[in-house]
Amino acid sequence: MTLPAGISRFVVGVVGVVVVALGAAGCPGTRGAGRPALRFLVPANERPFWLPLAATFEKEHPGLRVDLAEGPVNTDLRESLTTAALLAGDGSFDLVYLDVTWTPKLAAAGWLLPLDAAFPEEARRDFLPQALAAGVFRGHLYRIPFRTDVGLLYYRKDLLAAAGLPPPRTWSELEADARRLQKPPGLSGFLWQGAQYEGLVCFFLEVLRGHGGFWIDPETLEVGLDRPEAVASLEMLQRFCAPGGISPPGVAASKEEETRRLFQDGRAVFLRNWPYVWRLAQREGSPVAGKIGVEAVPTVSGVPGAGTLGGWGLAVARTSRHPDEAIAFIRHATSLASQRLFCAPTGFAPARRDAYDDPALLAANPFLPELLKIHASAAPRPVVARYAQASDVLQRHLSACLGGLASPRDALVAAARETRALLGSEP
Amino acid sequence: MSALPRVLPAPRGPHARRARRERALLLVPVLLLLGLVVGLPALRVVLLGFTRTELADGVRSVWAGLATHARTLHDGRFLSALRNTALFTGLSLLLEGTLGVALALLLHERFPGRGALRAAVLVPWALPTSVMALAWAWIFHDTFGMANDLLERLHLIGAPVAWLAQPGTAMAAVVIADAWKTTPFVALIVLAGLQGIPDEVHEAARVDGASAFQRLLRITLPLLVPSLVVALLFRAVQAWGAFDVVYVMTGGGPGGSTETLSLYAYQSYFRYLDFGYGAAVATQGMLLALALAALVVRLASRREEA
Repeated sequence: MTLPAGISRFVVGVVGVVVVALGAAGCPGTRGAGRPALRFLVPANERPFWLPLAATFEKEHPGLRVDLAEGPVNTDLRESLTTAALLAGDGSFDLVYLDVTWTPKLAAAGWLLPLDAAFPEEARRDFLPQALAAGVFRGHLYRIPFRTDVGLLYYRKDLLAAAGLPPPRTWSELEADARRLQKPPGLSGFLWQGAQYEGLVCFFLEVLRGHGGFWIDPETLEVGLDRPEAVASLEMLQRFCAPGGISPPGVAASKEEETRRLFQDGRAVFLRNWPYVWRLAQREGSPVAGKIGVEAVPTVSGVPGAGTLGGWGLAVARTSRHPDEAIAFIRHATSLASQRLFCAPTGFAPARRDAYDDPALLAANPFLPELLKIHASAAPRPVVARYAQASDVLQRHLSACLGGLASPRDALVAAARETRALLGSEP
Repeated sequence: MSALPRVLPAPRGPHARRARRERALLLVPVLLLLGLVVGLPALRVVLLGFTRTELADGVRSVWAGLATHARTLHDGRFLSALRNTALFTGLSLLLEGTLGVALALLLHERFPGRGALRAAVLVPWALPTSVMALAWAWIFHDTFGMANDLLERLHLIGAPVAWLAQPGTAMAAVVIADAWKTTPFVALIVLAGLQGIPDEVHEAARVDGASAFQRLLRITLPLLVPSLVVALLFRAVQAWGAFDVVYVMTGGGPGGSTETLSLYAYQSYFRYLDFGYGAAVATQGMLLALALAALVVRLASRREEA
């Protein structure tokens, strides 16, 4: 096939320009020579708060440098980047800043250094036990918690008090209160995360545990998704977002931030979300400042529910050329001084016990004692190496049900079947 | 490729045979290079598809024969990815084929500034896909997007549409973005085909009293079929393997409604560390792409013979 001369000359030109541009973009940045650098990936929005920690570390260890690579804010993208780097095994990252759910997978793949010796029993006592336990896989400690998270129920203190209602303990109380107080579309009853992503799984697990059910038993690998408790849980969520329910239909496409904004604008009575909301909703200029309360998530029986455990921690990559220095950085980052530097301005929940009695942190975030109480019953997500797959299966079927494509029973029966097939190959 | 118009008659005789041997010899470096950068990795993926990946004290691949491939049969997500891939390929080919021919006919006409326009048309094709996909994701954004703004000004929609949040519209948005990028490619090849149609044929038809529309339908389009087939063949294989445009615009959502086979294979690799299954999905996708290509070529050559 021949092209007219003008076009082919142009094509050659364009292709040339593109090749040169891609080549330039693909060149790795020059890495500072001299002092060895500890390199790891942090989300772009957290990087400004990591910089002071890096600076204080460099001051204490004059021979070292901390190189904070700026990664995407999206967790899934960072998970892929981290995986690709560890898979390549080129030692491009010394530390891994990892979500609570990544530990089993990365540890099972053999990409993380066990930290049992570096953090003996007395060093481990410094941390909240739930947050620390999330770093253990098959008997070894791989991840040291840096900040922690737990699912909470936020409520409008003023609205409940005006109606003479105590904070709800059971789901039926919450539903009745929400129905009584809501004035849609201006004021919704209850907001939660219903989009197809990890946040939906976190919330669903809270509801499921509150109904006495379970997802995956990590010991026996039994799957409880097609049991009556699970079906009742999903039927309740479906009822919440059905027309005339207590949640707006848009909740089925909402993530944390959408629901936080609506609640903070004073447009909802109840909100399920993480601890970070407290600081944002209470700060000056917020329409709901001073009007919100926080409780454990409700249950069917009325005993305080177990919020899903979240949070981020640090691990050492097996391919790191400076493992001892990397461990020193983890010790530094999880010291009380560093937790103060990081958690006071961000409102994130610290992973250390003593941070919850620290006057500076308490001044910045007065709800820490309540948070500590709720955190004590935080429940982890199942520790299985194929967690990401199992979560995707559940997300897809929950989302299909909330989107009206399947009944709760059908969705959960399908999810249970796929999860069993998946775990059948679990070693 | 039998669909290509044969420009030169095949040479014959002992002299020609030597020339052919020399030509074959000249191809060796290219074949070696292709074998190294395409053949070996592809072979590795095919072999990996016959293993089961175990995650215990490291990533281990255990020979599993056809068991890993058989998993796709009971995997609802694989079937839905297959359906999405087929839908995406079909819709893109339809849109790009139609628009490509129209664009080529336009660019074939003589008008001032034609050279500049021909060059400008190629710009979308030359852009990196992820960059243009990001731009299209913003165009289809429900609050800040141009698409909603434009449609609202034209009073075609009453309220903003969350294009990328609903299964049907998300697929449409991805197809439109893909068509924007690759229609110029189709148009370029079809334009070359147009230039290969001798003026005499049109002249004769005009003398016989054929109208412009009749000439288009009876002469131009049939004679364009070979180049259109080549263009669509390239596009079919590319669209079947679509990854970047979907990954950037929707990430496969909502509800997995735009997840393609390559995206699923990627997720299996990088999120699930299930290398064996990811390879099996990729291999089956590749085999289906080859079957698709063979089908297009076969249909085209049968048409040519008729």
